[in-house]
Amino acid sequence: MKLTRRQTLLGAAALTLPLPAMAALPDYRLNPQEVADGIWLIEGAQESFYRGNGGAICNIVMLATPGGAVVIDTGGTSRHGAALRAFADQRLGGVAASVNTHHHPDHWFGNQAFADRPIHALPASIEAQAAGAQALAEGLYRILGSWMNGTAPVPAETVADGGLLDVGGRPLTCMAMAGHTQGDLVLIDQRTGTLIAGDLLFLDRAPSFPDARIAEWRASLASLALIEVSGTIPGHGAYRRDNAALVQTRAYLDGFEARLDAAAGQGLAPAEALAAGPMPEFAGLGANPEEYHRATIQRWRDFETGALPVIGGSA
Amino acid sequence: MTAILSHVLPGGEAALAAYGGGVAVQAAGTADPFDSGMWEDHRELYLGEPAAWRTDPAMRLLAPRSAEDARHVPILVDATGLGGPVERIVITIDYSPFPLAMVFHPGRALPLLGFGVKYEMAGPIRASALVGGEWIMGGAFIDAMGGGCSAPAVTHARSDWQDGFGEMRGRLWPDIGRLRISLRHPMDTGLADGIPAHHLTDLTLTDAQGEEIARLEINEPLEENPALTFLLPPDLAAGPVGIVARDNSGYRFRGEVAA
Repeated sequence: MKLTRRQTLLGAAALTLPLPAMAALPDYRLNPQEVADGIWLIEGAQESFYRGNGGAICNIVMLATPGGAVVIDTGGTSRHGAALRAFADQRLGGVAASVNTHHHPDHWFGNQAFADRPIHALPASIEAQAAGAQALAEGLYRILGSWMNGTAPVPAETVADGGLLDVGGRPLTCMAMAGHTQGDLVLIDQRTGTLIAGDLLFLDRAPSFPDARIAEWRASLASLALIEVSGTIPGHGAYRRDNAALVQTRAYLDGFEARLDAAAGQGLAPAEALAAGPMPEFAGLGANPEEYHRATIQRWRDFETGALPVIGGSA
Repeated sequence: MTAILSHVLPGGEAALAAYGGGVAVQAAGTADPFDSGMWEDHRELYLGEPAAWRTDPAMRLLAPRSAEDARHVPILVDATGLGGPVERIVITIDYSPFPLAMVFHPGRALPLLGFGVKYEMAGPIRASALVGGEWIMGGAFIDAMGGGCSAPAVTHARSDWQDGFGEMRGRLWPDIGRLRISLRHPMDTGLADGIPAHHLTDLTLTDAQGEEIARLEINEPLEENPALTFLLPPDLAAGPVGIVARDNSGYRFRGEVAA
């Protein structure tokens, strides 16, 4: 795995500083790269949430427009959001609007820093944000500690749906999809033809499955495969001009489904399927084996029910 | 020797060896590997204050390092490597409001049991096997955000929790001796506001003649809609196997699974 400058700095800080010093460390060191004309990508660490990465694990995309930046996903903590906002203010003429691609916290717990402008999300995402904010925040305070200071999650309030999102004079095609979660918003920048896929696509980082419906996810991938794009930004992983993220995510879904089908069909208990680790060809992806372990627990019932016929009931 | 099946999945054997199963017991000895204040109390309360006990890496307990879902923490206990006949296996959770989760009497089944538990807070889970008058303990530390015992069962979010209540699913794999059973049951602990305790109390496996094969005493920590894994010797694994279960409200559940 390639270490970015930010990961190196964060990792070193987390390892060497005592806790009080960490509490005084507000630093999210961003490394924005302009991957296409006016499209800035701030890549997340290819890891799960943990104290060394401060929750900065998903990709953040900013589109430069005459009216300021359109910010796609806002970071994993309030302070992460503030750091992203500072970049937009200093380099992109402020913020015109932001978008939450879905309701997982790494993508929207930075909303506080953007709440003075419209925050767009699909209705299903807004509902899930409101319902899950408290539990998600408790979990992240536990994992991230002082990185979460001041984070009080603000759900999106502007409903997005399929169609055109035209903010600041840079039209974006919006597509409402599902499968990774109940609401996965996919965007295409019309000027450059860049696909901003959210977490329907992962590259070199194991996909996460807490709210996944694999059949729907696969159908969304089939729709994405039909679209001509000039480049792809996955929710986690590098920008690429080719369709590597699509191919890899589809192969991971197929492989994960086949593995849990085989486990449930051969009489394994879930603890055994978990301990067997990820599919060997995907064992080296970022966030594995932890993400596979989590996914096994989250999705096991989907496979078990089909493997066990009804044999009785209340007597 | 182990009866753990992770190796049937590609790469599973090496991954299992690397995984270990939480911070499992690594060495034989008479010190508590988790250095937990509850262990002495629980030995007294649930193992009958034995004069001697020990740990043994052959007493396997496979668990996730982190609960992920505090309402469903998958566990597999494998005492088949201990060599002797296992009289019973006592499952305890150090920091549960209900520390005694289950007691398994393997009888004519092999001493292997898979199940899921609710976790109220991070801490060790232990399986103590009584073999030839001696207690042998294995366990794992599970990190957990907790709340699994005090949260209402998911089924209560539906308009009628009795929909599908008691449905039993199962399958027998005669060539490998595996038996898996699941049962739709809320397994209410009584700790969630306004929902009285309603949980399974015991489950028995019987052979074709109706004679008992194995028996499980069940308490509150067993997960909602529990799924259980057993291992049977070849003669019994040929089936059929009957399943009878009861809960604390007087409901009875029956099923039969053939090869």
